[in-house]
Amino acid sequence: MQTTIFTFTVLLLAFIGYYMGRSRAVATVSGDVRKLHSLPRHYGYFVALWCGVPALVLCVLWMLFEPYIVNTLVLSGVPNIDPDASSAVIARILSDVKFLAANGVGRGADDPVMVAAAEHYTHLKTVGTASLAVAIIAFSILGLVIGSRRVGADLKARNQVEGLIRWVLLASSVIAILTTIGIVGSLLFEAIRFFGKVPFTDFLFGLEWSPQIALRKDQVASQGSFGAVPIFAGTMLISFIALCVAVPVGLLSAIYMSEYATPKVRAIGKPMLEILAGIPTVVYGFFAALVVAPTIRGFGEAWGLDVSSESALAAGLVMGIMIIPFVSSLSDDVIRAVPQALRDGSYALGGTKSETVTQVILPAALPGIVGGVMLAASRAIGETMIVVMAAGLTANLTANPLQAVTTATVQMVTLLVGDQEFDSPKTLAAFALGLVLFCVTLCLNVVALRVVAKYREKYD
Amino acid sequence: MKPMTKENAIDIDKSVDINNEMTNPQVSSLQIPAEEVKIKAEDVRVRYGEKEALFGINLDIPQSKVTSFIGPSGCGKSTFLRCLNRMNDTIDGCSVTGNIHMDGVDILSKQVDTVLLRAKIGMVFQKPNPFPKSIYDNVAYGPRLHGLGNSKSDMDEIVETSLEKVGLLKEVKDRLLEPGTGLSGGQQQRLCIARAIAVDPEILLMDEPCSALDPIATAKIEELIDELRGSYTIVIVTHSMQQAARVSQQTAFFHLGNLVEYGETEQIFTSPQDERTKGYITGRFG
Repeated sequence: MQTTIFTFTVLLLAFIGYYMGRSRAVATVSGDVRKLHSLPRHYGYFVALWCGVPALVLCVLWMLFEPYIVNTLVLSGVPNIDPDASSAVIARILSDVKFLAANGVGRGADDPVMVAAAEHYTHLKTVGTASLAVAIIAFSILGLVIGSRRVGADLKARNQVEGLIRWVLLASSVIAILTTIGIVGSLLFEAIRFFGKVPFTDFLFGLEWSPQIALRKDQVASQGSFGAVPIFAGTMLISFIALCVAVPVGLLSAIYMSEYATPKVRAIGKPMLEILAGIPTVVYGFFAALVVAPTIRGFGEAWGLDVSSESALAAGLVMGIMIIPFVSSLSDDVIRAVPQALRDGSYALGGTKSETVTQVILPAALPGIVGGVMLAASRAIGETMIVVMAAGLTANLTANPLQAVTTATVQMVTLLVGDQEFDSPKTLAAFALGLVLFCVTLCLNVVALRVVAKYREKYD
Repeated sequence: MKPMTKENAIDIDKSVDINNEMTNPQVSSLQIPAEEVKIKAEDVRVRYGEKEALFGINLDIPQSKVTSFIGPSGCGKSTFLRCLNRMNDTIDGCSVTGNIHMDGVDILSKQVDTVLLRAKIGMVFQKPNPFPKSIYDNVAYGPRLHGLGNSKSDMDEIVETSLEKVGLLKEVKDRLLEPGTGLSGGQQQRLCIARAIAVDPEILLMDEPCSALDPIATAKIEELIDELRGSYTIVIVTHSMQQAARVSQQTAFFHLGNLVEYGETEQIFTSPQDERTKGYITGRFG
C-alpha cells in the first residue's frame, strides 16, 4: 500500500519534472528551440530522470536491506539468545516476534522479553516506513531541483538520456543472465551435495535405481540405490521412439507443404499443423494414457504380446506427435530457403519433382534439417507431462518398447512431489538428474544452433 | 515457388510511335528455308494470372545458329524463352497458349513429357546455379537423371567431354570432387553450361548468361557460344546489344509483350525497320 503511494508520488514528481525541464529549456533560449543542443523533450526526460531514478534506487536499496537491519535491531533487543544458536532457532524467534507484532497473540505472548521485542519491531517498522517516505520525497524534489538547474542551452541532454537508456538495457540483460546463472548454480550446488552422499560414478554408471531411504533409524528399508543408467536409458528409448515418429512425418509433411502443396492448401495446412504445437502437453498426456496406451495394449494382446499398460511405445508415439511441428516448421523454413535457382536448374535438366527434392533440395537443406531435428530431440528429452502421465515409474533397463520404462523427468517429479526433506539423497538425486538432463539438452541445443548457423552462411 | 513478377515494363519514350499492343504488326525480313527451322512458334500467348505477358508471338528459330532476343526489361523475352522448354509450367498461375513446334512436334501439347523435352533442350540461367555438390556430380546430374553413362567409365567420359567442351577441364581436372560452388563466377557459369550439354541436348537456351559476370568471364562465355554454335541450336536472351551483335546470327526485338522485329542480326543493328527497334538500339529508351 505505502509502496504504491510512494511510486505514484515519485511518478507525479517526475511528470512535473518533465514539463519543468521542457519549459525551462525553451525559456532559456526564449522560444528559439534551434539554439538548444537537444530537443525540448530531451530536457524534459533529463529532469524527469533526475527526479525519478535516485528515488527509485533508494527504494530498491531499502527493500533489499530493510529486513536485515530491522531483524538485527530486534534481535539485539532480545537478551537471552544463545550466541551459538543455529540459524533455524534465530529464524524461529524472529517469526514468533513478527507474528506477535502482527496479531498480539501467539507463542511468547506471556514472555515480557518477547512482547518488548514485538513492540520494538512494530516501532522500527513505523519509523522506517515514515523515514523512507520522507527520504524518497526529499530525493525526488532534490533531483527535480538539481536537474532543472542544470538545464540550459548547452546541456547535452540527448546524450545523457541516451546514455541512461543503455544502462537500463544493460540492467535488463544482466537480470536475465544472472537468473540463468543462479538456476544453474543452485542445480550444481545441490547436485554436488548429492554427490557428497552418493559417489559420482555410482550415480552415472549404476544399473539399479530405487531411491528408497529409511526415514527412521529402526525402519526396515533398503539403503536406496541411485544408478541413473536405467533412467537415462528410458529417456533415450522414449525420445528415440518419438523421433522415429516425428522425423519422417515432420520432414515429409514439410516437403509436401513447401514443394507440392498449392498456395491455398498451404495457407490452411501449415497453420493446422502448427496448432499441434499449441496443444498443452498435459492434454497429450491424458491422450497418451487414456487412448493410445490401452489401444496398444489391445493390439498387443491380439497378437499375443505382453504389453505393459504404461508402455514406452505409447508415451513415445504421443511425444512424437507433439514434436512433429518442431521438425516440420523448421524443415519447411530451410527447404524454402533453398534458392529457386537450384530447383530451376534441376527442372531444366529434366528432373522430376521428387528427383529434384531428393537430389538437390534435401542435400542443400540437410544441415538445417539436422538442426531442427536436434532441437526437437532436446525438446523430447526434457518433456515431462506426457511421460508423467503415460510412462511408468519403475526403472527398467530394457530396450523393449512394450515394457514400462521411466524417464529422468518422471523421476524428478516423483522425487520432489509431496512433503520432502531437502537433505536426503532421495530429494537431492532430483537435482543430479536435472543437472545431467540440463547438460544433455544444452549440448544438443548448442550443436543444433551451430549447425543451423553454419547452414545460414551458405546462401547469404 | 515464387511467382515471377512482370510488372516492371518500362514506359516507352512518347516520341516513339506505339502501335496497338494487341495487334502484332511484326516486321520480319527473315526467310528461313522450312527444313532449317528448328523451332516454329505460332501465336504464343502467356498470362500470369490476370496479367498478360506475351501477346501472340510468331517466330521461326533456325537450326545450328545463334538467335538472340533483345528488348527492355519486362518485355517478355525471358518469358518466351521459358516457353521453349516449358519452364513456365513450374510457375503457379502461368498459362501458355498457341503452338510451338520443335521438329514438327507441338511441345506445348499435354502429351509431351517435359522430362524428355528438357533432355533435348538445355537451359543456362542468369545467375550461375551450380548444385551444392562436387563438380563431377554437377555435370553427372543430368546424365544420371536420364539413365546415360551406366558404367563408371562411361560417366567419366561424359563428364570429361562436357567439361572439355566448355574449356573447364584443364582448370578443374585436379579438383573434380570439390564443390562446384567453390569456383569463380565465370567458371560456375561454364560449369552450368557443361551440365546442360552433358545430356547431349539439341537446343541450348541461355537466359542472360553473362549478366552476373565480369568482362573477361563474359568474353570466355561468348567465345564458347561461338564454338558450340555448330553442334547446338542456341537461343540467348541478353540485355547487352553488343553481345547480341557479337554472338548471334538472328536477332529478335521484343517490346511490351510483342515481337516487334526479327531479322538478321546485322540488318537489325544497321537498318532496323521499326521505329521502336531503332529507338531501342540507339539507346533512346530501355
